[in-house]
Amino acid sequence: MKRKSKNRKSQTASNALTPNLEDNLEVIKTSMGNSSDLVIRRVMIHQTPAAIIYMDGLVDNNSVQNFILEALMLEMPTEKPNHNLFESIKESALPIGEAEEIDCYNELFERLISGETILLLEQQSKAIAASTKGWRDRGVQETTSESVIRGPKESFTETMRTNTALIRRKIKDSNLRMEPKKIGTKTKTDVTVVYLEGTAESEVIDEVNRRLDQIDIDGILESGYLEEFIQDAQYSPFPTVYNSEKPDAIAGGILEGRVAIITDGTPNVLLVPALFVNFMQSSEDYYQRADIGTFVRILRLFCFFVALFMPSIYIAFTTFHQEMIPPPLLISLAAQREGVPFPALAEALMMELTFEVLREAGVRLPKPVGSAVSIVGALVLGQAAVQAGLVSPAMVIVVSITAICSFVFPAYNLAISVRILRFPLMLLAATFGLYGIILGMIAMVLHLCSLKSFGKSYMAPFAPFMPKDQKDVLVRFPHWGLLSRPSSMTKKDQQRVDSTSKEN
Amino acid sequence: MNVVIKRGYFLITVLLCGALLSGCWDSDELDELGIVVAAGIDKTEDDEYLLVTQVINPSEIATEAPTTRPPASTYSTTGKTLLEAFRKMTHKSPRKMYLSQLRLVVIGKDLAEEGIMQPLDLFYRDHEFRTGFYVTISKETDVETLLSILTPYEKIPANKLMHSIEAVEENHGSSHGITIDELITQIRNKGQNPVITGLLMEGPAESGTNISNVENIDAPTKITIDHLGVLKGDQLVGWMNEDESLGYNYTQGDINSSVVTHPCSEGTAGIEILRGDNNMGVTFENDEPSISIELNLEGNIAEIDCPVDLSQADVIQQLNQQTEEEITRLIEESIAINQNEFETDIFGFGDLIHRKNPKYWKTVENNWDEQFKELVVEIQVKVELRRKGSATQPITKES
Repeated sequence: MKRKSKNRKSQTASNALTPNLEDNLEVIKTSMGNSSDLVIRRVMIHQTPAAIIYMDGLVDNNSVQNFILEALMLEMPTEKPNHNLFESIKESALPIGEAEEIDCYNELFERLISGETILLLEQQSKAIAASTKGWRDRGVQETTSESVIRGPKESFTETMRTNTALIRRKIKDSNLRMEPKKIGTKTKTDVTVVYLEGTAESEVIDEVNRRLDQIDIDGILESGYLEEFIQDAQYSPFPTVYNSEKPDAIAGGILEGRVAIITDGTPNVLLVPALFVNFMQSSEDYYQRADIGTFVRILRLFCFFVALFMPSIYIAFTTFHQEMIPPPLLISLAAQREGVPFPALAEALMMELTFEVLREAGVRLPKPVGSAVSIVGALVLGQAAVQAGLVSPAMVIVVSITAICSFVFPAYNLAISVRILRFPLMLLAATFGLYGIILGMIAMVLHLCSLKSFGKSYMAPFAPFMPKDQKDVLVRFPHWGLLSRPSSMTKKDQQRVDSTSKEN
Repeated sequence: MNVVIKRGYFLITVLLCGALLSGCWDSDELDELGIVVAAGIDKTEDDEYLLVTQVINPSEIATEAPTTRPPASTYSTTGKTLLEAFRKMTHKSPRKMYLSQLRLVVIGKDLAEEGIMQPLDLFYRDHEFRTGFYVTISKETDVETLLSILTPYEKIPANKLMHSIEAVEENHGSSHGITIDELITQIRNKGQNPVITGLLMEGPAESGTNISNVENIDAPTKITIDHLGVLKGDQLVGWMNEDESLGYNYTQGDINSSVVTHPCSEGTAGIEILRGDNNMGVTFENDEPSISIELNLEGNIAEIDCPVDLSQADVIQQLNQQTEEEITRLIEESIAINQNEFETDIFGFGDLIHRKNPKYWKTVENNWDEQFKELVVEIQVKVELRRKGSATQPITKES
């Protein structure tokens, strides 16, 4: 940290611009290695040689054309020459929003590469950087990974400015703070920390800033890089940083007093602190009516247990605790097992792995091939394996239910941890039966309760138990009943709803 | 470093726990188990135990394409102890006998007369058994034949017997299934002796053990649930008939639903008993206990062909009274045969006295069966017929 800032300072000193235009241009050219997208346009302004430099493709050609070239070449000559050309250009000639003075190469390159246009003048050791950023992006499109029935369908894009604008449009409050950062020595990725001043706890904001500032890496290509640096539990299968590509979900988090981290170049925005319950909730819970929201949340919790324990319980019951199966079911299961060559564990592992492979293949496959694989997968997983006598039909049902349940979670990263944890639980079940499952569960609960996310207990508001926060965990109260912000997230600015706002 | 050592200890502790605490360390795949649904025990001539097990053949039961193989098979062995016999069974059976799903134990008549406590010890003690299975006595047939009868409609013979016992209990009340833990408790209890369900085979044994038995629409050989056998201690002393069994169940409050048939002036009436509570009490007069049984029953008129006018309140009253008399008769008969013939208290009167007056009980405890014979029992039955069904009058009545 210290080393870095010192380094930067010394560079600034030695990299000051020179008054000679040609020298400056030469330095720029060599530093950029005569890059083909570097455009240097030499012009004469009131008999003073000048150069306009920009990176093709990173600037908005129209703004460069209309507000810089046209202003300097067509409009300037008509005016009376001023004795201080640099000042007059900077103050009055450039009809452009952001125009700043720079005096060192480092800053010049940084701005040049991020899409600004640089104006250099002969006899000046300063340059003007005009913001002309503009490049092709995808535009705001419908979200693909977090689809909802009711609620906004837009999703973040790869462009930082668009993303911040999407949040600003949801929260029109002057207290919404956006602190810029640049991370990555080579990629110099723009990162913005977004929070609501006065609502988010300052300890959390400081902690986020501290953790982001200590990152020293060559490049950040996706917010996943940041997540791994700043997450609390580095070796836990459970995620402690939430991410979403839906502006409404992030805005909702910011309103709860959480801190969002937007990374340039990816639509996935991080949200901290993240508690276990956050991963079970979808933004849609708040858009549907309260009773539906409650039902769906309880359903998700049920699915969490099914996805986690179903195969191991099946193994434990059929190999250790046959007395616990109701007799008619036992007979039917036993009949299905007749002639299956593998023990239940092998059978289960085989089917679960097959499913995982199919799922992974389904994500990677080009769309036209997808349907072919899904047909093969359905046949392999379903009928053929049973008919060939490799697995019992009951196992196919168990695996399918597990698979379906693991897709219920709105947060994909929780689904991944559930899918991974299933395997050790299956092994435990096959060696110790229900006893092993309980052991695994105790270990898991202990681990979960020991986790923290940015100073907040991961299992809150269950452990520690917060009675006030129960209104929005398993059940979702109607909005007029969600009187306060979750105190597991922030203790500041608690009031949310005035209790008189409800009809009747 | 310290943390690593700490974690190491923790890991070792967990692993040790896993190794030391695991209760039922034995994993068995489902297709390695011979699921025993019924067991029969009897004595052989050499004074050894004869053990018969009925093992199901799952693929034959849960199949869409049944073959001609039977849905269950029986194996029989002998041994000085039952455990020995169980283990010797592996000589004949391809799979280990899995006993947790046992539905029924059938005891041979000879063994039952000799005493059932000793052979039942294994069933009560061993951890593999669930204590919810019924204990029955084969009334006339030897247990091996009885357990080899193929039953129509229900593929697993043991299931058919269990369901039949429950159905009789629910709908008629002339029998009573007794589970192993109830049985053992009652045998050990001096104040109440147990009753036990009897099983009866109808038809020739030869055809019953053949799969063709269930190919007939009216199976030639059937197993039926008979009435209750009376035990004195752990020995079978006799059998009650239907009326006496019904009477017994009335005293125990075990009647969920039953039928009372009684003749009225010119015809018969079928009364459906629906629900009721029973109350048994004991009073002491000059240190002599007397028992009172109170029954409050509710019923419907289910069928009637007496020429009476059902719209009259006093006719209903009369029917009430006749039903009460009929039930009283059943109970009296039941008590009479136990007092006079079997000399065993199956009603739990001794228990009642024990609870009410422990001091007095101490004096009669060891001689209770004699005392029981002299016991005065007062019976008070109250029946209320509430509904007459959709027809308000007897169907033969001219209006």
